[in-house]
Amino acid sequence: MTNSAGSPKDITRRQMLRRIGLTALVAGPAGSMLAACATGGSSSEASPSAAPSAAATSAQNPFGVKADAPLEVVIFKGGLGDSYAKDVHEPMYKKTYPNATIKHVATQQIAQTLQPRFASGDVPDFIANSGTDLMDNGALQSEGQLLDLTPLFEAPSIDDPSKKIKDTILAGTVESGLIAGKPFILNYVSSGYGLWYNTKLFQEKGWAPPKDFTEFKAVCEKIKAAGLTPYAYAGKNASYYQYWMILITAAKVEGNQVLLDIDNLVDGAWLKDSVKQSAAAWAEIGKYIDKSYEGLIHTEVQTRQNQDKVAFYPSGSWLENEQKSNTPKTFEYAVAPTPSLTPSDKMPYEAIRVASGEPYIIPAKAKNTAGALEYARIMLSKEGAKGFTEKSGSLTVVKGAAEGLSLSPGIKSLNDAIGAAGDNIVTYSQFENWYKELETELRKQTNSLMFGRISADEFCANMQKKADSVKADSSITKQNRTV
Amino acid sequence: MRKYGFIFSFLVIPVILYAIFVISPYLQAFYISLTNWRGISANPQFIGFENFTRLLGDDVFWAAVRHHAVLLVAMPLITIAIALFFSFLLNVGGGSKSGKMAGVRGSKFYRVVYFFPQVLAVAVVGVLFQAIYRPDNTGVLNGLLDLVGLGPVGWLIDTNLALWSIMGVIIWQGVGFYVVLFSAGMAAIPSEVFEAAALDGAGRFRLFFSITLPLIWDTIQVGWVYLGIAAFDAFALVQVLSVDRGGPDNATTVLPLEIWRTAFTFSKFGYASAMGVALFFLTITFAALSLRVTRRERIEV
Amino acid sequence: MATQTDAYRAAPARATSRRRQKKNQLGAFGALSHIALIVWAILVIGPILWTFLASFKTNPEIMGDAPLAMPQDFSWASWGRAWEKAHIGRYMLNTVLVVGVSTFFTMLFGSMAAYVIARFRFPGNRIVYYLFVSGLAFPVFLALVPLFFVVRNLGLIDTHLGVILVYIAYSLPFTVFFLTAFFKTLPNSVAEAAMMDGSSHTRTFFQIMVPMAKPGLISITIFNILGQWNQYLLPIVLLSGSVEDKWLITQGIANINTNAGYEADWPGLFAALTMAILPMMIVYIIFQRQIQSGLTAGAVK
Repeated sequence: MTNSAGSPKDITRRQMLRRIGLTALVAGPAGSMLAACATGGSSSEASPSAAPSAAATSAQNPFGVKADAPLEVVIFKGGLGDSYAKDVHEPMYKKTYPNATIKHVATQQIAQTLQPRFASGDVPDFIANSGTDLMDNGALQSEGQLLDLTPLFEAPSIDDPSKKIKDTILAGTVESGLIAGKPFILNYVSSGYGLWYNTKLFQEKGWAPPKDFTEFKAVCEKIKAAGLTPYAYAGKNASYYQYWMILITAAKVEGNQVLLDIDNLVDGAWLKDSVKQSAAAWAEIGKYIDKSYEGLIHTEVQTRQNQDKVAFYPSGSWLENEQKSNTPKTFEYAVAPTPSLTPSDKMPYEAIRVASGEPYIIPAKAKNTAGALEYARIMLSKEGAKGFTEKSGSLTVVKGAAEGLSLSPGIKSLNDAIGAAGDNIVTYSQFENWYKELETELRKQTNSLMFGRISADEFCANMQKKADSVKADSSITKQNRTV
Repeated sequence: MRKYGFIFSFLVIPVILYAIFVISPYLQAFYISLTNWRGISANPQFIGFENFTRLLGDDVFWAAVRHHAVLLVAMPLITIAIALFFSFLLNVGGGSKSGKMAGVRGSKFYRVVYFFPQVLAVAVVGVLFQAIYRPDNTGVLNGLLDLVGLGPVGWLIDTNLALWSIMGVIIWQGVGFYVVLFSAGMAAIPSEVFEAAALDGAGRFRLFFSITLPLIWDTIQVGWVYLGIAAFDAFALVQVLSVDRGGPDNATTVLPLEIWRTAFTFSKFGYASAMGVALFFLTITFAALSLRVTRRERIEV
Repeated sequence: MATQTDAYRAAPARATSRRRQKKNQLGAFGALSHIALIVWAILVIGPILWTFLASFKTNPEIMGDAPLAMPQDFSWASWGRAWEKAHIGRYMLNTVLVVGVSTFFTMLFGSMAAYVIARFRFPGNRIVYYLFVSGLAFPVFLALVPLFFVVRNLGLIDTHLGVILVYIAYSLPFTVFFLTAFFKTLPNSVAEAAMMDGSSHTRTFFQIMVPMAKPGLISITIFNILGQWNQYLLPIVLLSGSVEDKWLITQGIANINTNAGYEADWPGLFAALTMAILPMMIVYIIFQRQIQSGLTAGAVK
């Protein structure tokens, strides 16, 4: 409880901020929204390319860091803690630049701490902009407060100077941080999405995660016969866990294009066959969910899974950490990709959604932008990423950084799944951030579909209607993505 | 002149406070409802009545209005009926004792207990009823039903039941207040009236319907107005209790919740204000109608 | 009270001076009515008692299939967590401070305005009166968004002073409405005598009128304390998530509810709920007579 780790701040952080304004019962919505207004109103001159601390650049020092320039790092101390910065990244920086003093600030109230400083121009050099009280990156960018991170992604990797950083991190990471076409955000943490289950239970009962929907139904029948709820999600506050599954399946059928079309509000995107087929297939699975799950919140459902009352649960890789204190010894998390739908699916069964989140930013007006870029480069080294995973229990976007680490069972299984998926990565949906109205409607329609009140056709029609109305609404700024 | 200086000095602070924090926001809200303001730009664009025409075609808005209508009719009726029944028992139900009508034994205790939920914050009550209404056998109500062998009821997930379940909480909290209110009214009825009727052989039912009810009609009307205004709120309970805030399938949504969501989640402050204006006119219409009815009756008497 | 006299006048002429002790018939009706009363009392006490007991349970006990079972052992651990981690104590203290200050000034400013409006003729008297009274009919939701910006522009957002000023402003309509009616009923003679003795208007008000108006003032004070203590909407708008140390109790409870969901600490939630309920219960039991009359005062004119 409370302001520390596992609060709504934390959950929004884990969700890569996608739930803002919808999960937190109080404060969250009002707080962050209104704070965003507060920043939006004030004007300030733009100077996005300020780099006051210039020194000679070199292969070892691509940004020209001044060896004795102080560095101020502000870390959101939520579920990830702040020891990954204090005990890993900062000492690494200090090793290279022993004369630099590092000021470490840990806070749960990013906006409250930093907004006045942005207003006055006295900004820190590096910020983990997370939590309920994060600052609105879009608003910061439009005021010219954010540094363009292109040089970072183009810089040579610490591990292998012949490679650029952008080639050492997971595909889609750079793109996920684009604002108005340029990368202003470093999304550092990598999350995987799929069906989570208890390996120990499945071994004992001889069940296996299904490869396609026919198998899915068959195993659900078996599980049901054993007296468990085969599949469940929390309808009261987390129906998006379920619509993620529907969208992932649609992407497996048609490829990522369908998700791009949905994000871009392309006419008829929701009426595509891939979406319809996916919705219909999942509605069939919905019949295995006990009605009561529509009235439960996600931790209630997760606790039931820990008690082996629920077999499959759709979620992301934060799940294991979130349930840590409720997971009995007899429970070991593992993740399986969502099942394939048709033999002609564009993506193989192994395809999985992996998305990067947890935004780190560098203020354009920071005194030591070069040092901040170098600090980010250190985070993106294998050593830095490995240390992060060790301290926080979360995977990073750095490829291969978790090798040799003793991972928790769930994270290990995710790591294996990502390895098996190769380049078959299902992309994330941006409309969740861009068009909240559409997202809210999708939650509603998902519950309706899964609990049998509407058909897949109605589901698609209702969603298309809402998408059309968002598209027609002149007061909503439209966004676009190509990757 | 001394008088005007005094009047001024007494009025200046309250009026200024009131003008700044109450009047000016309301006036601004009316203006914002005519714009497409999204809370970010400094200069909202004036779009006339577009928000209001859009309201007409907004299913969610009409669902919310329908729910207010249901609440407006059913909630006061049920609350008043229960409260009247109890206050009758507590004041007259015990028959007359040494010349005074008395309630049943323990009336004092009941009155204290019944009123208690009234002093609890709605936020607290909402959280409390989450556990009561949980949809499977872990819920308190369903646990009770289970004892007598009845299956779990989806209090808040059944689209036909959810609004009534939330109404149940409002009634649970409100009844005690009206018991006390009506008791005050009944205590004011001279006991001779009851005695005379009792002499005529009137039973408890007649005592209630032909004596008590007509004589506290004024108080009941006041209660009706209070409950009617409460029917336009229900924000906190719906927010805490309902599936997906107003669900399932918009079955429980109310205007304050939609205003909240439209403003702070969708950041469409113009449209949210238009809903606010609609809510304002609904409330005003109800209040005006009730006052009118009340006044006419009083003239007739 | 109009109700009483009307009722008396309308009393049937059959009311005679004949008095006879009516027999206390405790038939089936009596038995049934007792059962109804007891059932409702259980309905009221049950959920609160369940919350209290749940604070001693463990997660599996609360989430298990026996929601009605007693806790296996009474451990206060969850109370410790709720107190230390959830800062219930701080929220309470904040709320006491805010509500104490704002109720005091609500009563001061409200009675000053009401006194002037009730007892002095001056140009604009009616305008000021209706200005205040109109606030009764405005839904707060309409004003919410502009109110936030008004408070922010004054630099009072996320401050207790901001909340206090807003509470005062929004409590004025009812306070002025009720007290105006109350001051009108007070006799003129005493005030006139004081004025003859050369007492100033201000002195007359504080030394003569306020003591005379004491019963009404107490009622409305209680009304305001309860209303402000339970306020949920205004704090979540005016004290955002970043000033957790300034939060008020309802905000805190709602937040704990959200968090308990995420960290699955239900006993902690119920301990926090109980902590919020207990002080209210104690205060209520001590002052229940005054609270009941205070809250219903507005309804029975």
